[in-house]
Amino acid sequence: MKRIVAILLLNPLSLLGLVLVSAVVCGAVFADWIAPFPEHRGAVVDFSNFNQPPNWPYIMGTDLVGRDIFSRILYAYRISLLLGVVVLVIAVPIGVISGLAAGYLKGWPSFVIMRITDVFLSIPPLVLAMSMMGLLEPTLINGMLAVTAMWWPWYTRLVYNVTRAEKQEGYVLAAETLGASTPHILFREILPNCLPPILTKMTLDFGFVILIASSLSFLGLGVQPPTPDLGSMVADGAKYLPDSWWLTVFPGLAILVAVFGFNLIGDALRDILGAES
Amino acid sequence: MIALTRLIAKRLATASLVLIGVSMLIFAIARVIPGDPARIALGPNATNEQVAKLRTELRLDDSLPAQYAHFVSELLQGNLGVSLYTNRPVTTDIAQFLPATLELVFVAGALMVLIGLPLGMLSARFEGKWADNLIRIVSLLGVSAPSFVWAVILMLLFAFYLPLFPIAGRISEQYAIDPVTGFLLIDTLLAGKPWAWLDAAWHIALPAFALALSGIGQAARLTRANMVETYNTPYIEMARSYGFSEGRIARRYAFKPSLIPSLTIIGLDFAAMLGNAFLVEAVFAWPGLSRYGVAVILRKDLNAILGTVLVISATFLIVNILVDLLIAWLNPRIRHAEQQP
Amino acid sequence: MSAPTLAIDNLDLSFKGLLSRTQVLHGVTLTVEPGERVALVGESGSGKSVLARLVLGLLQDQRGVEVSGRIDFAGTELDQLSRTARRALRGRDMSMIFQDPTSSLNPMFTIGNQFHEVLQRRKPNLGSDQAHDTARSWLDRVAIPDTDRVLASYPFQLSGGMNQRVMIAMALANNPSLLLADEPGTALDVTVQAQTLELMRKLAEDVGTAVLFISHNLGVVREFADRVYVIHRGHIVESGQTADVFGNPGHPYTRALLAAIPRITGEGIPDLPEQIDLSHPPVHHNTGSADHG
Repeated sequence: MKRIVAILLLNPLSLLGLVLVSAVVCGAVFADWIAPFPEHRGAVVDFSNFNQPPNWPYIMGTDLVGRDIFSRILYAYRISLLLGVVVLVIAVPIGVISGLAAGYLKGWPSFVIMRITDVFLSIPPLVLAMSMMGLLEPTLINGMLAVTAMWWPWYTRLVYNVTRAEKQEGYVLAAETLGASTPHILFREILPNCLPPILTKMTLDFGFVILIASSLSFLGLGVQPPTPDLGSMVADGAKYLPDSWWLTVFPGLAILVAVFGFNLIGDALRDILGAES
Repeated sequence: MIALTRLIAKRLATASLVLIGVSMLIFAIARVIPGDPARIALGPNATNEQVAKLRTELRLDDSLPAQYAHFVSELLQGNLGVSLYTNRPVTTDIAQFLPATLELVFVAGALMVLIGLPLGMLSARFEGKWADNLIRIVSLLGVSAPSFVWAVILMLLFAFYLPLFPIAGRISEQYAIDPVTGFLLIDTLLAGKPWAWLDAAWHIALPAFALALSGIGQAARLTRANMVETYNTPYIEMARSYGFSEGRIARRYAFKPSLIPSLTIIGLDFAAMLGNAFLVEAVFAWPGLSRYGVAVILRKDLNAILGTVLVISATFLIVNILVDLLIAWLNPRIRHAEQQP
Repeated sequence: MSAPTLAIDNLDLSFKGLLSRTQVLHGVTLTVEPGERVALVGESGSGKSVLARLVLGLLQDQRGVEVSGRIDFAGTELDQLSRTARRALRGRDMSMIFQDPTSSLNPMFTIGNQFHEVLQRRKPNLGSDQAHDTARSWLDRVAIPDTDRVLASYPFQLSGGMNQRVMIAMALANNPSLLLADEPGTALDVTVQAQTLELMRKLAEDVGTAVLFISHNLGVVREFADRVYVIHRGHIVESGQTADVFGNPGHPYTRALLAAIPRITGEGIPDLPEQIDLSHPPVHHNTGSADHG
C-alpha cells in the first residue's frame, strides 16, 4: 500500500491526476465555502449580471439568468460524484457476486448469467440508459438506477474471466481437496485475486460514470433544473455559440478535468497492479 | 474452413438469442413503468376513449407474455407498429433516419481505426520517448470527455473561429441527391456528382471526427498496451537478433499479433459510438436517429423506443460478428484450429 | 593469423534502477577463434545470457544500461560502428539461437514466410520460389522430413524439437561467422535436446561457423565445446581447453559445479557447497590462444 502511494506520488502524470481529483472532490465537498455565490446553485435570478463573460467576481462568467458558472460547476460536481459513488456501490457488488458465481459454477447457472450480461452489453450503454430514463421519470434516483443497470455487467465479465482462470490454479484445487466450502473458496481464495483489476476499473469507471451521466443530462434525460448539472449546462449554452462561449466551454472543460483526473490515476494503478481491463 | 463456418453459425445463433433477450428487456422496462402507458403516452389532455383505443391497439389488456408473443409475431413480419409521435410505421421512420446515423458512425469508426491504430503503434514503438508520452496524454484526453464536449469545442474552433467547416447539416442545399442507399457518400457517387460527394464529405468531417475522438484515444491506448506486451515476447527479440529494422519490426512483427486482442474492444467501442452519435447529432443538427430517438423517448412512444433500440442493437451485433470473423481470419490459430497437433 | 571472430575485452555491464545500480558483468574477457566452439558455463543469473545480447547489440539501447569495455567482431570494434552498420551484421554475420524455440518464432507467420525473410537479410531481392528451395534444402540438412508441410505450417502446429531444428537452420542459413546459442533446447526433453545439439554441432562445422555456446549444463558442454569459460556472478573464474577444465578444475566454483553434475548411475544430486571461496583468483589454463593466463 505504501509502495503504491509512493509510486503514485513520484510519477508526474499520476500526481497530476491526484491533484485534479483532489481539487474536484474538495470543490464539491466544500462548495458551500469555496463557491463565491452558493445561492446560485438553485433557481436564482440576477438580471443585472446576466450573460457576463469571465470577469471578477465571476471568474467563469454568468449564465443567462445571471448565475455564477463557477459556483454552479462546483455544485454540479457534487451531484456527479454522488452519482458515481452510488452507481459503483450498487453495480460492483452485483457484478462481483454474479461474476464469481458464473465463473465458478458450471452448467446452466453460468450460461444464464453470462447470456443476461450479453444482452445488457449489446445495447449501446448510452441508449440503454436513455431508454430507461425516458420510460421512468428523469430524476436523480432513476438516473442512478439507469446508469447502474448498464454498469454491472462489465464487472460480471471481469470477475468471470478472472475466476475462470483462477479456478484452475493449484491453490484453489488444494482448497477444494481440503473440503473448503464453496463460499470460502469464492470469497476467501478467488476474490482477493480479482481485487486489483476491480480497483483499477473502479477508478477509471468513476470518471466514466460522470461522463455518461453528463451525456444523459445533455440530452435532457438527466437531472432536471434548477439542480446544476454539467451536461445540461453545456446543452443550454450550446444554443448561444459562439458569442457566449463561456456557457459551454467551462462546464465542458469541467467534465474533461474530472474524468481526466480519474483516468490518470486509474492508468497508474493499472501499471502498478498489473491488472488488465 | 470448417472451423470458420462453425464459428459463423455459432455467432449467429448467439446473436439471435441476445437480440431476443434485448427485445424482452426493453419490453419489460416499457411495461413495468408505473401508471398506464397509454395514458402517459397520450398525455393528460387525451379523452378516456382515446386512451382505451390505444390500450386495445397496444394490447395492454392482454397478459405480458401474450403481449410479447404478439410483438414478436409482428416483428417477424417486419412490423414494429406505429409511432405515436409521427403517426407513421416505426419501420418507415427508422428507414428514414437510420442511414444518416450509420453513415456518421461508420465514418467515425473508420477514423478510429485509421488514426487510432497507427498512433498506438507509434506510441509503443517509441515507448518512454517524448512521442509516446505525447500520444498517451492526447489519447487519454480523447477518452476523458464525452463526444458532445468535443463536438462543441471542434465546432467553436473549426466552424466559428476558423470557418473551415460547416456548422450543421449533411450536404449543401444546392445539391439534390436521390436517396438510393441513404448514405450520401455513396449516393452522390451513384449519381455521378463528385462535387456533391466532396460537399458531403466536407459536412461529415467535423461531426465524424468529434464522434471518433474517444474511439481514437481508446484504440490508441489499447494498441499501445498490447504492443508493449508483444515487444517483450521472445519472437520480437529473435526478430531483432536477425537485424530487421525497428520500423519493420513494429509494423510487421509486433503490430499484427497485437491487433487481434485490440479488435474485440474496438468492436465494443463501436457500440459506444452508436450511442454517442445521439450526442454529436444533437450538436451538429445531423438529421439522424438522435432527434427522433430523444423525441420518442421523451414522449414515451413505446413502439418507437422498442424499434429504435432493437435496430441499434442489431447493428451492433452484426458489426461484432464481422469483427469476430475478421479476428478469426487474421488469427492463424483459429483459422487452422483443426490442424493443431 | 587472422583476427579472432569474437574478442571481448574487460567488459562491464550494469543496470541502473531508480535508486540502485546492479553490476552484472565484471571485466569479462573472452575470445572465440574462427570456426571454434566455445562454451560459456554458469548458473542462471550469472550474466551469461546478457553477454550474448551485448554481442548482438540488443541491450545497449535500453534505458539504465551502462556498458564499458570493448567487443571486437572479426577485427572490427563494434562500438565504433554506426547503429545501421551494427544492425547489418545481425542475421548475416552473426545470428542467435534462443532457449524456447516455439515462442521465439512469430505465431502470425508460416515457417516458410519467416525463413524467406531471414534469407532476404543476405539476398534482399530473393524471390519466394528460390527462397522456398533454399529453405527446403536447409530443412533437409537439419533432418526435417516432409519439408513442404513444415514450411507451410505455423510454429504452433509443430513440435518443440521441430521448431528447434527450424531455428538452427535459419540461424545458419546465411553462413554467419558467429553463432550465439543461448541455452538451446533447454525447453525440450533430454533426448531431443541431445539430438538437436549434435545436429547443430555438425552443421556449424560444415558451414565453418564459430559458436559461442551458453549453457548451465556441464554435461552438454563437455560433448560440445573445444574450450570452456566458467562464469560466476559476472566474473570469469576459469577458462581453458575443455579437457583441462574438466580434468583439472582449478577454481573452487568449477569444482563445485562439476560435483553437481547428476550421475545417471544414481547417487542422487550432490549438494553444492554453501560457501565457495570467491576470493580465489581466476584460473586460466594455458590454451596457447590469445588468452592471458
